[in-house]
Amino acid sequence: MACAAGLVLLALDEAGDVALVAGVRVGAVALLALVAGLVLGWSSFVPASLVLLGATYATHLAVDDAALDVRAPLVAAGLVVTAELAYWSLEERENVWGEPGDGLRRLGLVAVVALATTAVGAALIAFTGAVRAGGLGMDVLGAGAAAAVLFLVVLAVRRAPG
Amino acid sequence: MTRRASPRLEGYAVVAGVALVVSLALRRPELAVAAAPFALLLAFGLRPTERPRIHASFSLDEDRVLEGHEAAGRLEVVAESSVDRLELLLVLPSGVEVVEGRDAVALRLRRGEQRTIPLSVRCARWGLYDVGALELRARDPLRILVWEERVEPTHRLRAYPRGEELLRILPPRETQVFTGSEVARAKGDGIEYADIREYVPGDRLRSINWRASARRGTFVVNERHPERNTDVVLFVDSFADVRLEGRSTLDDAVRATATLASRYLERRDRVGLVTFGGVLRWLQPGMGPGQRLRLVETLLETGVEPTYTWRDVNVIPARILPPKALVLAITPLVDPRFVTTIADLRARGYDVAVVEVDPVPLVDAGRTERDRLAYRVWLLQREALRSRIVRLGIGVGRWTEDVELEAALEEVRTYRRRARLARV
Repeated sequence: MACAAGLVLLALDEAGDVALVAGVRVGAVALLALVAGLVLGWSSFVPASLVLLGATYATHLAVDDAALDVRAPLVAAGLVVTAELAYWSLEERENVWGEPGDGLRRLGLVAVVALATTAVGAALIAFTGAVRAGGLGMDVLGAGAAAAVLFLVVLAVRRAPG
Repeated sequence: MTRRASPRLEGYAVVAGVALVVSLALRRPELAVAAAPFALLLAFGLRPTERPRIHASFSLDEDRVLEGHEAAGRLEVVAESSVDRLELLLVLPSGVEVVEGRDAVALRLRRGEQRTIPLSVRCARWGLYDVGALELRARDPLRILVWEERVEPTHRLRAYPRGEELLRILPPRETQVFTGSEVARAKGDGIEYADIREYVPGDRLRSINWRASARRGTFVVNERHPERNTDVVLFVDSFADVRLEGRSTLDDAVRATATLASRYLERRDRVGLVTFGGVLRWLQPGMGPGQRLRLVETLLETGVEPTYTWRDVNVIPARILPPKALVLAITPLVDPRFVTTIADLRARGYDVAVVEVDPVPLVDAGRTERDRLAYRVWLLQREALRSRIVRLGIGVGRWTEDVELEAALEEVRTYRRRARLARV
């Protein structure tokens, strides 16, 4: 929860008045969805909350029409950490007795994922900055990424049992 | 093991997809950056990996325990491939609980590694339990995919009912022909003094009562009661079970039946069993430790199987109810079919006694006035039923939470001392 709240603050840190008001509302709904998901044990609320957290950031970007935001890797890392911790919390509800050090190992993995996310995000931002001069580059990048995600989803569905 | 997607997979796909679409729509690369880690996690999680090969089993040191006692066991896991997280859940049937150790553990296993997890289970209630069912759930390091497998139960655990405190039992009125511990009403060779009579040729010299002979001036011999065995048929009512917070009339009835059977068999009596309800189960009268084991095993299968068909004494095979046998009914006196059957047995000349497993403390009187009225009417109906049974010459002993089984049997004994068995 603290991570999600921090993410909202980070996303709206440099937001203008209009974006701030809208972002706070969306962020509050995102936090509510996350709380509901964790309390009720409904895992489908977690992606909804993540999308709303992303929407908070998107509101700032869209309304304020800011320049390329170098904080994007941090926002991405925040989203990943929030997601990982939320799903971990839901898994812990099953009351399975883990081995000593299991939690620390998992925490370490989450930290590594967060660092890797920041690094990849920073690289992408740098790359985007380099090709920003031409709009076509970003379009190609976005279309390629969307196609990749679509491919992954199709792959997952085809591999799913039954 | 069967593979399925974890909630993470769906969630990350949704987040990545939405972020990328919005990124394109708003022409903001930052959102694509936010979507990238989710897409990368999915890509890493969905890469072709080896299916986990795990063998898990549960074993118990013993397959027969006494109700409430512990049985030691162990979970054994062998990993033929490495697993980042294996969640192992021992699925126990209702009535069996883990008292030492954990029934749900998570392990990290390397290829070829073997683990043994000791634990103890306890059966809270008598019965037959199929144990050893396991649920295995293996997860990859990124927790994107889950492999699941269910292992079916491998052991049948028999929990025998615990005994009740019982010093004296209810003696049958009639004895049989074999030597036993019950003093017969008839006269013959035995230990218990019965009477004296005049000597007749053929009497043994050792039977002569010399003092009485000296007083009477003629030979007088002692007569004695022989010690004989008896036939007892334990008649368990399995038509209905009144249950509240772990206490049940059927559970108590089975415990009482097991205790009574043990006591009668210790006296070399022949003991038979009839569980009369939705399913009729019977055991022909017999004696000895083997009969005791057979009887308890039959009792373990006792349960309430609902039926709306009318059953009477005619469905019981004749050889199960030998002549002169004591039919000792253990019943909550709830189902009229059972009450009719014991009345029918009495009418056929059997020596019948009833131990009533009192269901009244297990029934809530209700909150509304109408419920309380119905409750009072029910109590009155029970009293009427009880007096109807008593009028037939059947002793009824009420066994409740506050009254020991011993006292309930004493109530029947007292009644039988007063009311002589009518010869039909």
